[in-house]
Amino acid sequence: MIDPVTTRRWSYRALFVALAAALLFVRLLPLSTLPAQIPGPDLMLCITFAWVLRRPDFVPALAIVAVFLIEDMLAMRPPGLWAMVVLLGSEFLRDRASAMRGLPFLAEWATVTAVMALMLLANRTILALVVVPQTGLGLTLLQFVTTVLAYPLVVAASHLALGLRAPSEIDGMGSRA
Amino acid sequence: MARDRNADIDFAGPVRRILIVVLALALSATFLLWRIDSPRVERFRAALVDKVVPNMDWALLPVTKAVGMVEGFRSYARIYEQNTELKRELQQMKAWKEAAVQLEQQNAKLLAQNQVRLDPQLTSVSGVVLADSGSPFRQSVLLNVGSRDGIVDGWATMDGLGLVGRISGVGASTSRVILLTDSTSRIPVTVQPSGQKALLAGDNSAAPPLEFLENPEQVRPGDRVVSSGDGGVFPAGLLVGQVAQGVDRRMRVRMAADYERLDFLRVLRSHPAERITDAGVLIPPEVPPALPVEPEVAPETETEAGG
Repeated sequence: MIDPVTTRRWSYRALFVALAAALLFVRLLPLSTLPAQIPGPDLMLCITFAWVLRRPDFVPALAIVAVFLIEDMLAMRPPGLWAMVVLLGSEFLRDRASAMRGLPFLAEWATVTAVMALMLLANRTILALVVVPQTGLGLTLLQFVTTVLAYPLVVAASHLALGLRAPSEIDGMGSRA
Repeated sequence: MARDRNADIDFAGPVRRILIVVLALALSATFLLWRIDSPRVERFRAALVDKVVPNMDWALLPVTKAVGMVEGFRSYARIYEQNTELKRELQQMKAWKEAAVQLEQQNAKLLAQNQVRLDPQLTSVSGVVLADSGSPFRQSVLLNVGSRDGIVDGWATMDGLGLVGRISGVGASTSRVILLTDSTSRIPVTVQPSGQKALLAGDNSAAPPLEFLENPEQVRPGDRVVSSGDGGVFPAGLLVGQVAQGVDRRMRVRMAADYERLDFLRVLRSHPAERITDAGVLIPPEVPPALPVEPEVAPETETEAGG
């Protein structure tokens, strides 16, 4: 006798972790070892933010931290820093998720872009403060741009392919009241 | 229903907030630990990668091969052009082969005349590329050989033709190769006909620039670049690539190794150059105690040479 809401919630949580594992797997494939001219978007970040804004209960903070910490370790980044920045960014958005549900998509996109830019800045500032050699600014900015451009696509994909929808207006009103 | 959940959230709110703060603190502590005691955390990272990535091996290799096959099929489309091109190249190669054979004979003659013994210690271990760095900002690959196979940090890695990178980070059954294109890679090189020394500094581009060239006017595009062995980082004389002039008019190196498809790599066992540590041999005050030391030293160097 399992509550269907709970089943749905846990299956989406599992889906989130599975998506993260699949994306990491694809990134690790040694398909081309030439340096990329244009770095691909950080899809995991897009997915996290899109889901946090739509269904915060599907992406618990612990899952976010686990996914990004493992990504830190495997992708040879300084461990912990990017995971922390993502955690803070996603918590900021989570607090505003119900308020932003009524707004048009453009407003959401702008907010996400601003948060991502702040996260990038925070990451680079902390790395500079503790004197860690950093990657070139140009590449990082390019990746930021591709990530921002990929965000609407990720939202559309989660909406159409994965059936991820914000709770209905009444529910939203109810939880806000 | 909605009201229930609302009440639940109100109750859990402060607790959740504390948990988030604790999580963030734990993460920043991890980062600070890494900053303070980097080697330990990097060893942990190597061990973690060593545990995780070989588990994905069963999936990584087939997918990589499948994509390679698709690309192979694509190249079937222009097989006729390729064929004529290859025939033309083969014609040129025959001429080169003739020259190479003659040079080889000449070389052997000269070596015999000079009684030169080439370094017999330069043996290699071959490994297969398991995974790449997974980040557009890092250029490294993971090999399926590790400390179990005797791999040591700092050894040079080549593909069939040219230098690829150096070992940095060894797990039990995997090891990471920092490619020469990585922005942290710096190796001393010699530009061949002119003998100019320079530093090959990776910068996340396919053709890394040469830095600290003494006389840039003596270096021309097309010159051979080999490792110089300065600083004891790499053995000398390994082929790196050819000089080419970039669009920014800097001297860059086009790699001899096929970076587009790194598949099998050879890790060269390099042995540190012998160092003279004692000064007392020239003016021996006591001859008898110096003698029994020698047989002990000799087998040690032999085992090193064997291993």
